[in-house]
Amino acid sequence: MAEIKAAEVSQKKKSVLNNTAILFLILVAMFGIFSYIGRPWFFSRLNIIPMINNLSFIGIVAAVLTMVMISGEIDFSVGGNIGLTACLTAVLLERGLPGWLVVIIALAAGAAMGAFNGMLVTVIGVNSIMATIGTMFIWRGIGYTLTNGESMLAMNPVIDFIGRGFIFKVIPFPIVLLVIIFVLTYVIMNHSKWGRRIYAIGANPLASYLSGINVKRVKFIGFLLCGITASLGGLILTSLSAVGMPQHGQGLELVIVSSIILGGTVLGGGKGQILGTLAGVLILSILYNFLTIMNVYYFYIQIVQGSVLIIVVSTYEIGQAMKRRRM
Amino acid sequence: MEKVEKKYSAFMNFLRTPTPTLIGIYIVMFILFSLASKNFLVIQNIKGIFNNFAVYGILSAGVTIVMIGGGFDLSIGSTAGLAGIVSAVLLMKNIEVPTPVVFLIAIVIGCTVGLINGIIITKVGINPIITTLGMLAIIRGVCYFWADLNPRIYNVFVQNLGRIYIGNVFPITTIYIIVAFVILTLVLKFTRFGRDLFTIGGNENLARLAGIHVDRIKIISYVISGFFCSIAGLLLISQLGSGRPEYGTGAELEVLTIIVLGGVVVGGGKGNFLGVFIALIIIQTISNGMVLLAVPVFMRMVVKGALLVLVIAIDALRSRRNLQLY
Repeated sequence: MAEIKAAEVSQKKKSVLNNTAILFLILVAMFGIFSYIGRPWFFSRLNIIPMINNLSFIGIVAAVLTMVMISGEIDFSVGGNIGLTACLTAVLLERGLPGWLVVIIALAAGAAMGAFNGMLVTVIGVNSIMATIGTMFIWRGIGYTLTNGESMLAMNPVIDFIGRGFIFKVIPFPIVLLVIIFVLTYVIMNHSKWGRRIYAIGANPLASYLSGINVKRVKFIGFLLCGITASLGGLILTSLSAVGMPQHGQGLELVIVSSIILGGTVLGGGKGQILGTLAGVLILSILYNFLTIMNVYYFYIQIVQGSVLIIVVSTYEIGQAMKRRRM
Repeated sequence: MEKVEKKYSAFMNFLRTPTPTLIGIYIVMFILFSLASKNFLVIQNIKGIFNNFAVYGILSAGVTIVMIGGGFDLSIGSTAGLAGIVSAVLLMKNIEVPTPVVFLIAIVIGCTVGLINGIIITKVGINPIITTLGMLAIIRGVCYFWADLNPRIYNVFVQNLGRIYIGNVFPITTIYIIVAFVILTLVLKFTRFGRDLFTIGGNENLARLAGIHVDRIKIISYVISGFFCSIAGLLLISQLGSGRPEYGTGAELEVLTIIVLGGVVVGGGKGNFLGVFIALIIIQTISNGMVLLAVPVFMRMVVKGALLVLVIAIDALRSRRNLQLY
């Protein structure tokens, strides 16, 4: 079994690049078609900039969650984390704390949440899906408790800049963050020892342990980073909407996980590409944005989101089955 | 001689399950709540506790079957909501479909959802959590088709379905749950389906090699779960007196907590309904106690999530035999 997986890993380099390229082609085609059907609203400054801003916080969370998923674990609590961060930010700002301090506290809280997930999974040995479904409700519940279920205004120069600022008056700041995070994760996953360890752990944890990798530590750091980036996403969302409300990020785990899987990351770990995730995030965000632009009800979009998740995973599984039959 | 030994070992087996611990926890909790709130140990309140867990109890009956077989079902809350709102719409004044037909349609809806889940999970081979998470979103979206109708239940028979008390004390819904649990226990103990299910939960590859129709049994278990979802949906509209698209949201968290607390091992192969029943009472008593002690609404959500994490952590520690290396 292990040998087969290892063989797939070495073989994959070419094929996944192909898959990612196909995804980007689909993306361009989709963008063209949507611009045509949805004219004049879809391809306009008024739509493109909010779409990119929205996409950026999803992408930031997805990039790091890809690392966690390649190592064979998953984190469903990112949506709850975003809700809690948004509420925490709003509450702290209302207390009159300076903006930079609020940002630091929010990121620290994200780190704490990530560390808690990591401890549950690595030290106690809980199945990460179950553990993070539980913590998802805890984070959101704490968010509700903090703001007493209300949405609070969150206005502050620093917070405003995170989501709505422009660098050189042209480039939206969330996009800068998105690019930084993607470049960092790309370098880590493709050009560092640590990234190779993550791939190895996902492919075969026992073999990685026996060859001297501290599996638990790598996984723990993955969850920690995931917590921090999720709260960064929460800060961006708070800034974009200028309110902290506990419903922020609800159902986001569905979108994020499906875009990661669409990007070619496998549920059991060991396979996946950061660029693929980028393509997946772009495709799904554009699709959902287009549906909204075309005046589709939210609950229809919800149906589409669920179907996309199932269809994407089915496609992968059916492809694998056909490949096995050919061998 | 052998017989005596067998009996002894069965008793020891019972002691080794988490059920005795659960009974102990419950007694302690009961005493604590009774001391903390003077409204707890009142017949009215106890009646309420038993009647309130109707929906979760019926839902956990089906999910326990799925989880013993190593599966997972997160779509229960949405499925119950769908069955509920469709039946409520069909019972509306200007449509007036006969009640038995409504029940039949509700059950068909639940079983169809279960069948779809089962086929996707077994034939396509997707992780059950991902599949049912997707189904959760899809079905909840479908529920909103009828969002603007806001149907009320005037049908007396349906109203009584979840509201009657036998002898003015014992809620009829508890009898449904007990009947369902007893029947399922007998099915698990004495039929081939039950034994196959435990084998599959214990080791799926082994079961396949032993000639068990793994896929078929698993699909049946999801259909059973869907069936109980539709019953739960009917109870929901009966107890709440109307049909709303958001009914049943978050039920999966509650049911998961109940089942894992009841000693059903995540990953399958182990579990009994007595434990699930006691866990059901425990969780409902905790919810009730939090209301009586005036714990804020949102804090209750935190407590429930924390309870799930705690229960799963204990489950992980219990099922871990060797030191975990990675």
